[in-house]
Amino acid sequence: MGQLIIVIVLIGLGYVVGSILEKKHYRSIISREAQLLHIPTVSVKNIIEDGVDIIDARMVQGSVVISIDHFKRILASLRNIFGGRVTAYESLIDRARREAILRMKEKSPNADIVLNTRIETSTIGRSANSRKSIGSIEAMAYGTAISYRK
Amino acid sequence: MEQPYRIANDLKYSPKELKTNVNVTQTSSLKEFFLLIGGVLAFLVIGYGALGFLVDLIAPRLPYKIEQALSGPFEHHFFDVKKSKESEELERVLGGLLDVMPGEVGPYRARLVDDNRVNAMALPGGNIIVFSGLMDEIESEEELAFVLGHELGHFANRDHLKGLGRGLVFYSLFVLLLGSDSLLTELIGGSLAGVQMKFSQHQEMMADMYALDLLNRRYDQVTGATGFMEKLVSKEKKGRLAYYFSTHPHPKTRMANIKSKIQN
Repeated sequence: MGQLIIVIVLIGLGYVVGSILEKKHYRSIISREAQLLHIPTVSVKNIIEDGVDIIDARMVQGSVVISIDHFKRILASLRNIFGGRVTAYESLIDRARREAILRMKEKSPNADIVLNTRIETSTIGRSANSRKSIGSIEAMAYGTAISYRK
Repeated sequence: MEQPYRIANDLKYSPKELKTNVNVTQTSSLKEFFLLIGGVLAFLVIGYGALGFLVDLIAPRLPYKIEQALSGPFEHHFFDVKKSKESEELERVLGGLLDVMPGEVGPYRARLVDDNRVNAMALPGGNIIVFSGLMDEIESEEELAFVLGHELGHFANRDHLKGLGRGLVFYSLFVLLLGSDSLLTELIGGSLAGVQMKFSQHQEMMADMYALDLLNRRYDQVTGATGFMEKLVSKEKKGRLAYYFSTHPHPKTRMANIKSKIQN
């Protein structure tokens, strides 16, 4: 019984705190994305604009680790039983990818374009792949930041 | 080097903010949570009902050899057995009851376990566990015979196998749903150990009646039953015996049933 109460408390805590943190994170992501909107982030490898002089080209990368909470974990494991879209994890991956790209852009806020952008994801933590414990997702974005002569 | 493709020079990059997010489904996670929990519960209730019915059908027909194979974990659990005059008394009274027990008599044993709880249990494999707390409350041989007869009644009615079977069904359903290493399964498994040995109130009544019958055969009188029940009735308010009642009918109900049976 005591164990059950602990689990219910953890799930409740995960829901309340997890929702608050997620909303806060999204607010931050949206406002920072607006600030850095002037830097295109593309997967193209070559410069596609004509007549530009490149004065700087550097590798930039940004990475973030986001943990799931107990509520999301239970929701996902319940979803595993019936199948279907695991909506609990969607926002997690979305946040991680967008945050990683933002951090990458923040590495070179004066760049004109980031070429050859790639995103990698991995699960980390001592037992990220075991079902018993809470795992985390890492998203890492990297690319080549190019600056033109103005 | 020739570029692989060209774009029109007047196609300028104009940043645009995305207002919607197609990558995240806009649903209420709480609603989804309760919907899924509801689905799991419905599955459990239906599965438990259907399989529990099968258990009740199979348990009375289970050969003793299989029962013995199942008893392994329980033997281990209660190994801390006290050897004393009391435990010899236990064996002696049990032997007397087994002599008059109708039908097939298994190799039943009674064991005294040092524990303050006022309780006795019928475990798979034919072991009757009597806690020393209960032993202290008992004053006469007939009273002890009633307690042992009650547990023998559970054996005769195969209640212990039904309880075990239902527990097993419940646990299996959870493992099926969540996998054996899931946190939830472990949780259910932990609380199951206590659940599976609990019998329904009807089963307890039938065990009482069986004990009464045995007592009558052995001693030609049933004062042990009424004596013990009177003790339960009087002690009931003090709460010391409360544990014994948790799964049993109210002692006054049991007393009434016993008295009406005696009159018949």
